[in-house]
Amino acid sequence: MNSTHATALQSFARNLQWLLTLRLAVQLATVWFFAWGVVILALRIFGVQNIYWLTMGLLAVAPLALVASWRAKKQRAPLTKLRASYDRINACGGIIMSAETHDVGAWMLQLPGVATPRLQWRSGRALLLLLSSTAFVMITLLLPDRLTHLPGRRPLQIGQIVQQLQAEVHMLTQEKIIDAQKADEVQKQLSQLQDDSLGYDPGKTWEALDHIKQSDSDQARQAAQEALDKTASMADAETLAKAMEQAADSGMNATTASQAAQDLASMLSAAKLDSGLLNVQIPPALLAGLNGLNKEQMEKLLQGLEANKSLLSMDMSNLANLKMIDAATLGKMQATGMCENPSALADYLCSCTNGCEASVCMHPGKGGPGRGGPGAPMTWSGGASEKDLKFQEHAMPPSAHLSQAQLVGVSKAAPQLAGSDISAEHGVLNSAAAGGGAANTRVILPEQRQAVQTYFKRDN
Amino acid sequence: MPESILKPEELRPVTELAHKALEQLDRILLGRKELHRLVLIGILSRGHILLEGLPGLGKTALVRTIGQILKLDFKRIQFTPDLMPGDVLGSHILQETTSGKRELVFQPGPVFTNILLADEINRASPKTQSAMLETMQEHSVTLLGTTRELPQPFFVLASQNPIELEGTYPLPEAQLDRFLFRVMFDNVDVDVLNQIISERRRGELPAPTWQMERADLQTLFQTMGRIYLPGPVSHYIARLVSATHPGAAEATGPVNSYVSYGASPRAAIAIAEAARANALVAGRPSVGFEDVKTVASPVLNHRLILNYQARFDRMTPSRLVSELLNQLDETGLNLPKDVELAHA
Repeated sequence: MNSTHATALQSFARNLQWLLTLRLAVQLATVWFFAWGVVILALRIFGVQNIYWLTMGLLAVAPLALVASWRAKKQRAPLTKLRASYDRINACGGIIMSAETHDVGAWMLQLPGVATPRLQWRSGRALLLLLSSTAFVMITLLLPDRLTHLPGRRPLQIGQIVQQLQAEVHMLTQEKIIDAQKADEVQKQLSQLQDDSLGYDPGKTWEALDHIKQSDSDQARQAAQEALDKTASMADAETLAKAMEQAADSGMNATTASQAAQDLASMLSAAKLDSGLLNVQIPPALLAGLNGLNKEQMEKLLQGLEANKSLLSMDMSNLANLKMIDAATLGKMQATGMCENPSALADYLCSCTNGCEASVCMHPGKGGPGRGGPGAPMTWSGGASEKDLKFQEHAMPPSAHLSQAQLVGVSKAAPQLAGSDISAEHGVLNSAAAGGGAANTRVILPEQRQAVQTYFKRDN
Repeated sequence: MPESILKPEELRPVTELAHKALEQLDRILLGRKELHRLVLIGILSRGHILLEGLPGLGKTALVRTIGQILKLDFKRIQFTPDLMPGDVLGSHILQETTSGKRELVFQPGPVFTNILLADEINRASPKTQSAMLETMQEHSVTLLGTTRELPQPFFVLASQNPIELEGTYPLPEAQLDRFLFRVMFDNVDVDVLNQIISERRRGELPAPTWQMERADLQTLFQTMGRIYLPGPVSHYIARLVSATHPGAAEATGPVNSYVSYGASPRAAIAIAEAARANALVAGRPSVGFEDVKTVASPVLNHRLILNYQARFDRMTPSRLVSELLNQLDETGLNLPKDVELAHA
């Protein structure tokens, strides 16, 4: 074969090899970039944040190029086919092909001019895919960390709730409703919840928070109830003490005064002011000498009761501010702390010449005759008004009219039911037989009644 | 494989002979250069040719002229429904010899010639058509157990009319397969018609100014045998014929949809021979892919048996072959679809 054609053929083979290598390399790089992008994304999602090592994966392009070259070389078309293609493209009429086995030197001069076949690769789609894969891998590398976290691995946003619960615990500690050790435990528990909580499994966190919240609320409710009871007791004691003070000035006899003092002592003792969640401190000297308190001591006792009521009220206000107790409980607390009318009780004590049980007047429903009915709160002035009161109305079942009653008989004995003899009669044609068959019973409608009556009244 | 490829000085005089024959044909019969080339290729390939066209297009004139140019014996049979095999092949006649003895003497039929024009071959009965099978394939006639060789070379140039199909018997596939080419006679254009009117009074054809000697024809045949068929081209022919079969590895979509039966191995041989002849006429010592493409359609278009779907969709064998030639990669290089090979 002519050396020029041989050179062109070699050039053609070389160009084809390069083109196929490049094409294969682009394909492999595209696949690798997509795959590596997915790997990067997965690693970053699962916590690997070292971008440097992830970037190293891009260097795999170099070995891929070698692989592409090796594969393209391995898949290279045999020279016979390349020669045939060269022959066809240059319209050599089989002479170049024949040169493989024959001496065609004499025909070379008659062949068309040497021209290396042009290879054209429509690379648009392949390059677009390569660009897409490159962009994908770059995006996966440059993606901000916050976007690579799975929603389940993000911490749960419970800071505000934890803060509120911590304030509640702090308040309960401050009010000495719970002890410091327990408060520390709860605070640690809350901190741990805030640190460890994940959006992946929020149920457990919410459950723990609900438990703490419930526990705090229970403690607060228990404290409120205790404060309510103690305030009520102290208000009753204060009323009696004030009444005793006034009655002493109004000439209460000694027997009544002694009995009232005993009642006051037993009232304060029953209230158990020094036990429970909220301790109320009354000077023990005053409590010990309740039978012989002078006016000044009585004033001190009253001041002590007033101060303790205020303290309890303030504690409840603090709990209400944190919404640990509701406004109704707080209002009830304030209403309970109000002192009843001591003047009326003082009058009552003065009226008791032979001694009377003052404490019974402090409890509702046991006032005795003339002092209010059972179940009604005891008051010593005025009376209950019935204005705007309404009784609940109940509709009574209607009674059957006498005209509808059926006379069965008259007897002195107890009435007996006739059983099956008494049956409802719906019409005269019932059970009637006509022509061997049962009559058709029809209900006569009101509008038909006139026509039926006219029919039966006719002369013929 | 030939020992050595033809040298230019060996091939040139032979090609000139072919060109001279073509020139004579083109001079006598106007406006059908491509057709003449195909017919000459068919003769050089020693194949039979089926000419298909309307009456009056010059089919008989072509055959007669070829006979004159090649100095070959020429006979014509007008096929009719009552034509019997004996009318074609010949028959034994009882004759009395000079000695007074009576014996059956074979009277050769018109088939004993070099060029046989079987005019309107599809009008003969299948029995008579079948009588042609042995002559076309074996170049011999067997009667009463005696086989008689036909004169060489022997060509059948048959014609059939694509219209007036009433009273005709379509050629069986076995006989169609024995024709190397099926060549369509198209109408000539106005200029050629004008030239015919001007130069051919009463349709009389001019006598050839040059005639090929028998020895020259033999030289042509011998040279045909030395035209080299390269391996890739041979492989291409094999793939091409294989691809005409539905379900084949390289069969195209239309082939799978429309073809019931593809071409036979005889078609592959015919393409190879015709491609050789085309290369010879082109003055080349070897066959190229373009030679195969030139002769593939006339070789294959009567060998593809299409299904009814093809009839519904008006798909023709020629279109199928054309699409097949366009889609099949000649060299089998199997380049990726997005890589193209083009002339610089």
